[in-house]
Amino acid sequence: MTPRMVSTVALIVALAALPKVLWGADTGRIQFENRQKGSGINFVLDNGTLPDKPMIDGIPGGVALLDYDNDGYLDIFFTNGASLPGLAKEGDKFSNRLYHNNHDGTFTDVTGRAGLRGEGYSVGAAAADYDNDGRTDLYVTGFNGNFLYHNNGDGTFTDVTAKAGVPGVSSAGKKLWGISAAWLDYDNDGKLDLFVANYLDWSFATSRVCGSPGKRLSCSPTLYKGEPNILYHNNGNGTFTDVSEDMGISRHVGKGMGVAIADYDDDGWMDIFVANDNDRNFLFKNRGGKTFDELGVESFVAYTESGLPVSSMGVDFRDWNNDGKPSLIITALGGETYPLFRNEGNGFFSYESYKAGIGLRSFKMSGWGAGIQDFDNDGYKDLFTANSHVNENADLDGQQHYRQANAVFRNLHDGTFQDMSDDAGPGMQIRAAHRGCAFGDLNHDGKIDVVVSAIGSPAELLYNTSTGGNHWILIKTVGVKSNRDGIGTRIKMTTASGLVQYNHVTTAGSYASSNDPRVHFGLGADTLIKEIELKWPSGIIQVLHNVRADQFLTVNEE
Amino acid sequence: MRAVSLSLLLAAFTAWPAFAEPCKGAEAQLSQVSKALTVNALDIAENALRALSVSYPDCPEIVLHQARLAQAKGRISEAAGLYYRYTDTNPGDSRGLAYFGRFFLEQRDYMKADALSAAAVDKNPDDPAALVLRGQIYLMKGQSSAGQNLLEKAIKLDPDDPEAQFQLGTIYDKAKAAAQAVEHFRKAATLNPHDARAWDYLALNLEVVGDLDGTEQAYQKGLQVNQAGRYHDAFLDYNYGRFLAKRNDLSGSKRHLDRAVESAPQVRAVWFERAKLDMRLQNYQQARADAEKAHACTQQGGVIDLQIYSLLSQVYARLGDTALAKKYTDLTRETPPPVRGEQR
Repeated sequence: MTPRMVSTVALIVALAALPKVLWGADTGRIQFENRQKGSGINFVLDNGTLPDKPMIDGIPGGVALLDYDNDGYLDIFFTNGASLPGLAKEGDKFSNRLYHNNHDGTFTDVTGRAGLRGEGYSVGAAAADYDNDGRTDLYVTGFNGNFLYHNNGDGTFTDVTAKAGVPGVSSAGKKLWGISAAWLDYDNDGKLDLFVANYLDWSFATSRVCGSPGKRLSCSPTLYKGEPNILYHNNGNGTFTDVSEDMGISRHVGKGMGVAIADYDDDGWMDIFVANDNDRNFLFKNRGGKTFDELGVESFVAYTESGLPVSSMGVDFRDWNNDGKPSLIITALGGETYPLFRNEGNGFFSYESYKAGIGLRSFKMSGWGAGIQDFDNDGYKDLFTANSHVNENADLDGQQHYRQANAVFRNLHDGTFQDMSDDAGPGMQIRAAHRGCAFGDLNHDGKIDVVVSAIGSPAELLYNTSTGGNHWILIKTVGVKSNRDGIGTRIKMTTASGLVQYNHVTTAGSYASSNDPRVHFGLGADTLIKEIELKWPSGIIQVLHNVRADQFLTVNEE
Repeated sequence: MRAVSLSLLLAAFTAWPAFAEPCKGAEAQLSQVSKALTVNALDIAENALRALSVSYPDCPEIVLHQARLAQAKGRISEAAGLYYRYTDTNPGDSRGLAYFGRFFLEQRDYMKADALSAAAVDKNPDDPAALVLRGQIYLMKGQSSAGQNLLEKAIKLDPDDPEAQFQLGTIYDKAKAAAQAVEHFRKAATLNPHDARAWDYLALNLEVVGDLDGTEQAYQKGLQVNQAGRYHDAFLDYNYGRFLAKRNDLSGSKRHLDRAVESAPQVRAVWFERAKLDMRLQNYQQARADAEKAHACTQQGGVIDLQIYSLLSQVYARLGDTALAKKYTDLTRETPPPVRGEQR
């Protein structure tokens, strides 16, 4: 062996060890395993499609992960479609579903007992404890009905929509087509308010037919007018007031699909991002809880770097590069790429899909659900998208596919991502008409799992089986002065090795779905957290020191 | 005078007599010359024609190929004279009409090209050269179905016609059927490696199907042969520059976008693309200059006002010019996004 060869071998050995030394994290593989079979979950999303493929049939499929019975484990709620054109849940196949987590990998369908079968053509779900009674409630959006279900604490829910005044209708009395919803306390008064993203002014009476007979395609949303979004203020007595107009929300008419919340400018007030389909996206900046300014154009997130809209569907709004500034990923249709906007912290976002390495990879993907989550617990958040084209007949175009596999992009710690989908296990190779997905730890192993709904095929329970043995923590916040769920709380985490990460409490994000309210952090090789700083919506800043890893930590506001 | 001559030519319906005695014995060489001209191998064609014109001084087909050669070499007047000479004496030859029609097409005299292509197909509906030209003109008129039929027929008759492959590729490209487009552009580029347009289109469609290495290779081959002439592609550097930006090769992208603005300065898209790159490079002054040039261009090149306003709003915001940033932000908000096709 020549000296040159020796040094080369030594270099390779050194490089192989480098990631662990630098990041203090085992760079194991991101893996998912679909454990739907035998789980007791047999939910199949039924969109009630018709031969003419009306706009509505491509849109459903929200998922919510919520612990409705406070047993510490996440249960699963799926929204479902309805018969068309009747828009009624005729028969069980259109029922929404609630599955109770039995803690052993199996689930029990408790829909009937819970009273969550639903009505009309359901789309999205948003879970949170809006009345601060310690029990998670559920809001369901839909085409012809939005519903607020109050959790009675005994395994049942009561429809309180009318009493609460959150039916999802405009000030003119028109029911708007609700897609996603988000719970947030926009005025930091300790009570969760409700934002509803609405889509198109569409009906069967105005429905257009696209494509040719037998080869119908979903029409472009540009053929229809958009609808305003709604913001409901929580009055604290079980009722809400529609403040959309007063708060500057309803004057902006878009084609809302996904919604996510974050305090993107760290001013202590939660802001709202709405992904609009083929229209400019909205970034509602919260002005001290008094009003919202829509700053999508000013912040450079309205359009891609080409100055054009994409078919924005799902969205997540979290800090993926550990700089404390929540950034955005948005899913879109094939040929558009998934926009990735990095928050620069100066009021501007930069479009970084190509720079981050997901541009060319996502060009052929069409996506709905989206999440910024640390799947390998290495301390850096990765990306997940639930994929499928909107068109059932998309395959008529040789470049598009209706049924697609989901995608996961691993964070390489330098602002770039690597598409790991092909190597992420058989669970990630399932080609289906995926729609909404929700993120959370279903089996208490400290890894973020994904539940994905799919039109015409069984929902997928993608358990995270990533290797590497990295450490983690999940934090449940319990507000006292703040809203009880602690939604909006910003958490800064400093591990023993010095890695600093940020996240915030929210159930919003993805597409029409609702995530685990607990905040997850991957800790890499660290078994000890030096400091956890919680900035509550009330303004209280709480600091914990020397917290051990690998635990479910409940933090009460104090 | 010439116009009268052309009218007479189009009015003539006498059957064209096959080249008889004057060309006898030169058929194989003439065929090779024709192929050489088709693939832009001009030196080979020129040398062969020189020798043939000595041996076969009365062979009319030599005149036709001399016309094609002169056209390819940019000697326009000479080419026109030779075409007139040939078609005046051989008014029934569909190939003469077709090549003359292509000459007019390249001179942007679309009326004459249209008339001659129609006459050529009329004379001989099985002449690939006539079918290709007519098919191309149908495409230019927006009659893609009719154009596709003729091009497919031409390819059946002569699968080795690179122009037919290229034109058919453009139909699939327009229809966003990238896989089929790749098939035809690959054939076109293989049959005529001097055709920079074919390499460019091949690269664009290879990118769509996800073959990024193939895309890179196609661009490289196109750049090697992209010279002035009928196969020149003014947007090759533009497209390659965009591709390199997507692959995060920003310096390479800049090199090619710099060339793109030199070769097509009248087109908004090239300035727009370079301005976008300037933004990524955080060269905001240059971005401003390029974006303003894009704004001033009348030839859009596919870039609409909304895109310019959005870019200018970002440029001026980055530069701290709040008044202009607001102006373009307002314009961005007021300008509705494009209405795309009826279906997704």
